[in-house]
Amino acid sequence: MGPDREATDMDETPTTRHPGEEQVMDNSRVRVQSLQKSFWDESRGEVRAVDGIDFDCRPGEIFGLLGANGAGKTTTLRMLSTILKPTGGQAWLNGHSVLDEPEAVRRSLGFFSASTALYPRLTGRETLDFFARINRYPAERVAERVEDLIERFGIKEYAGARVEKLSSGMKQKISIARTIVHDPPVLIFDEPTVGLDIMAALEMQRVIRELREEGKAIIFSTHIMSEAEKLCDRIAIIHQGRILALGTLEEHRQATGQHYLEDIFVHEVMAAERGEDATAGAGASSESDTSP
Amino acid sequence: MNWHDIWILYRHELRSAFRDRIIVVNSILMPLFLYPVMLWVIFTGFTFVAGLADRSDSRLVVLDEPAAHAALMDTLRGRDNIEIQSSVIGADSAVALIRAGELDALVQFLPAQDDARGLDDNFQVMIRYDRAVERSRRSRDRVEGVLSGYRDRWMTREATALGIPATERAQFRVVQDNVSSGRQMGALLMGTMIPTFLVLMVALGCLIPAIDSTAGERERSTWETLMTVSASRLSVVTAKYLYVATLGIMAGILNVTAMFVSLGAIIGPLLADASTRADAFQFSVPFLALPVMIVASIALALFFAAAMMVLAAFARSFKDGQAMVTPVVWLALLPMVLGQQTDRTLTPTIAAIPVANAAMMIRDAINGVFLWHLMAETLAVLLAMVAVCLIAARAVLGFEDLLLGSFDGSFWRFAKEQVFRKKAGQGSNGAGSGSD
Repeated sequence: MGPDREATDMDETPTTRHPGEEQVMDNSRVRVQSLQKSFWDESRGEVRAVDGIDFDCRPGEIFGLLGANGAGKTTTLRMLSTILKPTGGQAWLNGHSVLDEPEAVRRSLGFFSASTALYPRLTGRETLDFFARINRYPAERVAERVEDLIERFGIKEYAGARVEKLSSGMKQKISIARTIVHDPPVLIFDEPTVGLDIMAALEMQRVIRELREEGKAIIFSTHIMSEAEKLCDRIAIIHQGRILALGTLEEHRQATGQHYLEDIFVHEVMAAERGEDATAGAGASSESDTSP
Repeated sequence: MNWHDIWILYRHELRSAFRDRIIVVNSILMPLFLYPVMLWVIFTGFTFVAGLADRSDSRLVVLDEPAAHAALMDTLRGRDNIEIQSSVIGADSAVALIRAGELDALVQFLPAQDDARGLDDNFQVMIRYDRAVERSRRSRDRVEGVLSGYRDRWMTREATALGIPATERAQFRVVQDNVSSGRQMGALLMGTMIPTFLVLMVALGCLIPAIDSTAGERERSTWETLMTVSASRLSVVTAKYLYVATLGIMAGILNVTAMFVSLGAIIGPLLADASTRADAFQFSVPFLALPVMIVASIALALFFAAAMMVLAAFARSFKDGQAMVTPVVWLALLPMVLGQQTDRTLTPTIAAIPVANAAMMIRDAINGVFLWHLMAETLAVLLAMVAVCLIAARAVLGFEDLLLGSFDGSFWRFAKEQVFRKKAGQGSNGAGSGSD
């Protein structure tokens, strides 16, 4: 089942549809269906890092993936960004299948994580120019786009300095600008505030909110409850590769009877480990009916 | 594969590389300056050491001086660079002193043997020296020179006394004449040095870029950033490969240029002085040798780049990469083995040995030998090796644990694991799972 393809100026590759796939007439920018990732480990045998998850994300929405370290957040996001190939299920970004159109998916995507560093020997301006061009932003508009972002993030003074010479705060700004320089409709932020000081983390949150206002579909993974609480429109609690619960914060509260996200999280995880269905209200493995 | 993407990525790699001090030093400055300078230092060093040895005195002990040959002893004593010591008595003591480095040679006069006894006052001389010591060897040569001159004069005098005319006592003489032209001598030297240095430079030119563009990207955490750009994996790898090969070619060509200049301007005059022949060495090559050297450099760079990148793909850090790629650099030393035999040319067997074949092809070209069919075989062999490496690289990048740098092992461990897994019918972590 795949979402309708939304034509943008970035789209060049025709969407592949598989026989029997039903077209969903919603406006999801990201749609994940029964996504799985298993790998083989010498000591543990087959390990299911992601075990059949479903969710979607719409334009102007911040969708949170909340889970402890090792829950499967990064693996999920790496599959969505086509770095990893799913071993089961399917996902579409901006109408493109991650399995069949990886290049088109990446063109529609900005990916930011703690492990996506910048090239130290390039200047900030060169970095933005490179990522705009390699992600097929129209060549005649690259220079203007780069200058706009330099202005927007207030990095004009050091845009000509090599990245290796910059402070971590400056690098962070260039890194965010790098993520959005080709104006992708979908953005993935994988634990973007890890290792940042409080001011830098707040700045990151402010930028992410701004991007939501611009209509971007944003998938945001974190293990910091307060961050998810403040930022996310909907939150999926992921544990051992499965989504235990998915919904708005209010829906989670109603389903669990807990007020704080931290308590909700603990409640869901404990229930899952006891084998209970604690997800009745919030709708685990939700489809779009759990959307706000 | 998209050539527009490859061009953007290639330019990006080059721009980064030219701002990296290690790459600039290894791939540009070293080929251009360091090795010519090193050559000059080595030759100057040799000349200096030879000069020192020439000026050193030979400390001799002479035993059982023949009374009838006082003139010989006078000649020995009369040489400025020979010092005869009289305090040593006995051959054994003298040999002990030679071994201890306190004496250079023992000259012992012995009675003539066999038919030689028929000539009055004839004798034989035993020179004992230490061949492992340069100064001792040089002393032997000096004594031999004096003895040879004295023998000629003595024989002439004795023959005249016996009434034997010069025409009857004349023996045949051995006269040596080197018919090599200065150009050929230059070609000999260039043919020995240039292929070795060229191969080494191309390999070293590829070394750091190959590690930097694979393991270095992982270490800097830019690899994952690159994996999320819209260019295909194949385009990314192709651009990196072309970049590594470009720096290898650049290093090779810069080195050849520098070697020509330094051989002509520095080494040539040094050697001419040493041989006291102003025209001893001329450094020029046939015009056709230049394109041959360039083609060989390109083929070598393509091969080294591919081989090094396949191995470096397994490394998680720059240090790992250096350890894994070093065996390929050893291959670059292969021509040194063949370089010892300067009269050898390219043969079908040598043409089938990667790296050595290219070195031999270059040497032949410098010497004006163009065996076109064997050159074609050489290029075919190198390009076949490149194809094998690229197929391996593509296969390797299909494995996600390698792509993400989470594989903790070497190429050999990886190959072993894949073979055993296949035998056991098990899937691998992300086997064949490159997303495009």
